[in-house]
Amino acid sequence: MNFVRQVLALLRVNFGGIAARPSSALTILVGVSCAVGALVSMLAMGTGARRQEMGDVRADHVVLSKTGERPGESDIAKDEAAAILGLPGNRKDSAGEPIVVFESMTFIEGRRRGTGTRIYFPVTGVSATLPKYLPELRFTDGRMFHPGLHELIASNPCTRQFSGFELGNNRLMHGIAWTVVGHFDQGEGQQCLVYGDVDGIMSAFKRNTYTSVAVMLQSASGFDAFHDAVAANPSLHLEALHESAVMEDGFKQLNAILSFVAYFIGAIMALGATLGIVNSLYAMVDSRRRDLATVRAIGFGPGPIVVSILIESILLAIPGAVLGSGLAWCLFNGLAASPFGYSIQLRVTAPLALLGVLWALVMGLVGGLLPALRAARVPVTTALRAI
Amino acid sequence: MKFLPLIWSGIWRKPGRTVLIFLQVCVAFSLFGVLQGLKSGVERLISQARADVLVVHGNLALFDPLPLALLEGIESIPEVKVAVPVELFQAMYQTPTKKVGVVAVRPSEGWLSAFTFTIAPETAAAFRKNRTAAIIRDVLARKYGWKIGDHIPLLSSTAQKNGSTDWAFDVVGTYEDSDLNGGSDNMLINYDYFDEARLTDKGTVKHFKVEVSDPSVAVAVADEIDRRFANSANETRTESMRELAQSQLQSIGDLNFLIRSIVAAVVAALLFATATMMMQSIRERLPELGVLKTLGFTDTAVFLCILAEAMLIFIAAAASGLGLSLLVFPLASKIVPGLSMPPIVVVLALAYAVLAAALSATIPAILAARSSIVAALAGR
Repeated sequence: MNFVRQVLALLRVNFGGIAARPSSALTILVGVSCAVGALVSMLAMGTGARRQEMGDVRADHVVLSKTGERPGESDIAKDEAAAILGLPGNRKDSAGEPIVVFESMTFIEGRRRGTGTRIYFPVTGVSATLPKYLPELRFTDGRMFHPGLHELIASNPCTRQFSGFELGNNRLMHGIAWTVVGHFDQGEGQQCLVYGDVDGIMSAFKRNTYTSVAVMLQSASGFDAFHDAVAANPSLHLEALHESAVMEDGFKQLNAILSFVAYFIGAIMALGATLGIVNSLYAMVDSRRRDLATVRAIGFGPGPIVVSILIESILLAIPGAVLGSGLAWCLFNGLAASPFGYSIQLRVTAPLALLGVLWALVMGLVGGLLPALRAARVPVTTALRAI
Repeated sequence: MKFLPLIWSGIWRKPGRTVLIFLQVCVAFSLFGVLQGLKSGVERLISQARADVLVVHGNLALFDPLPLALLEGIESIPEVKVAVPVELFQAMYQTPTKKVGVVAVRPSEGWLSAFTFTIAPETAAAFRKNRTAAIIRDVLARKYGWKIGDHIPLLSSTAQKNGSTDWAFDVVGTYEDSDLNGGSDNMLINYDYFDEARLTDKGTVKHFKVEVSDPSVAVAVADEIDRRFANSANETRTESMRELAQSQLQSIGDLNFLIRSIVAAVVAALLFATATMMMQSIRERLPELGVLKTLGFTDTAVFLCILAEAMLIFIAAAASGLGLSLLVFPLASKIVPGLSMPPIVVVLALAYAVLAAALSATIPAILAARSSIVAALAGR
């Protein structure tokens, strides 16, 4: 009890002294907020990317590809694909048709809006069952494409990023004009997605195989049975994968890069900020030698002194963390960045801000340790003699 | 020169503080080194990509097949030194997870000059002689332990004429690739053998690699090729390797904004911290500076001494920070290949160090220079 009282008394004295020398406290504040701000805004890219990639994943979605091949790069023959329609566990729509989407993806050339830079983006031929497979697909303008016609629908990010995606625009693919007839939003997705009739796309690109097949199950729990049914069928050389596994696989590399960059830069900056804390606290302790010697002389123990300095260090670091997270939120939240060719909307979330505060706690604790020990070891007699 | 011992003792007056400032500056500049290295690495990759090698691919989609027959039209352009048809496909070795990228090329006269490969002459000769020959990327050969003379079975989704999806090739040697985007799990095979043996898509290629006689005619030749096939069923798009590298690496350039923000944050925090430290240190040393002035040092001399102290610490710290970032490069090169630190980055960093030292030490130094002897000696 006495220990706590002593700590509280010391804290009161310490914080009273800050007003007299604001620059050291400000150094800690600025250092920590820069370090935490950088870490949080870098990590915000990762969370933004994850929400975009994984936000729309459904447990009852299954993606099929040739064994060992990546979905989207696979080639599934039409007869093999037809056999998928009869597999048990498929969800049927109101008309009794199984909700299966045959896909054929290719990359075609587009031009960035404004700069006119050339860029390749995916065009996916899909079956007309797509809206049933993707209930989150919402048309904001126009309508779904008609199967058999040369029509395309494009997600709204396309119109924002590339030219030639206004309603009624024609895009030439191998001499045939494809008309853009609809714009849509697809859940959290921020990538440009373009869909057309799968048979039309395949004949335009002289293809006869699908690059992947997507299936909606009756329930998420039916995955194992479906997976085994695919594996047990000798005429199918296919592999059924959870949609989440496919997305995670595609996202893995980007995620690893983003986290590495964020933690690498965050750690370096944290190191710098911690050094700043050590320096500032040393200066503060030095300027308080007389006070410290005085309180030791009137019976305060070294323990409360160490604890009070550590608490002071942490209390100075935490506003920095809050400020840094706040700055990251103000400056970067919702901002679209496109590192490594992905378009990502940065998301500064509460867990990230919390992580920033934790990071600051550690910085404060580590940075406060040495100065606190020094404060506890102030030689009482010499310090008092200096008065 | 005679001031040097004075400056030196000033620096080591409080070793703990000096070391901390040194470390802080060092950390800031190692971050600067890594971020700049990233940027200059990308720029170097682009400038190293060959401008005299063109890639002719389908106009619309990247992996659209083109007929082999276009080769004649390309070769008939006088500035074209060599044109090589290239077909690409994926294969698996033993298990589906062991993927191999197969690059089928036609080893016509002088074909190698259109690529970034290094191949021993006897390997290249054996490759031309043996239809089922394969040259393995050195990295891949080490990975699976393939040796010259090995007969390696591969499984591919591309079927042979007899319907089988099993392929087999004879290893005749290995190659190195100086292109950092070249793909480490690749092997080269003969296009003519592959095209003859496959079931579908006969007579098509993914792209042609074209070497022109001089980089300066590259643009004209590229335009000429595309003009020849304009309005045909197979319109082409011809780009130089450098243009391709540019558009590929441009996306990394989008990070520039973030990099700049981070560097700005680092510099702001650093300047604030060091300026405060300097101020504190000068305040403590005012009596000593007063003594110097009593001994006849001018205000300017005191000012310069203090500034020189800061410069010395900052320059030394910046140099060691850059050295540290060089140590980090191998780690970071997993993300961006070809990280580098050209001399300009070093010069830039040292200039920044001088600037930062001047910014954080000027005010304390002015304070010290202006202080009156009486007040300084009294410690006021």
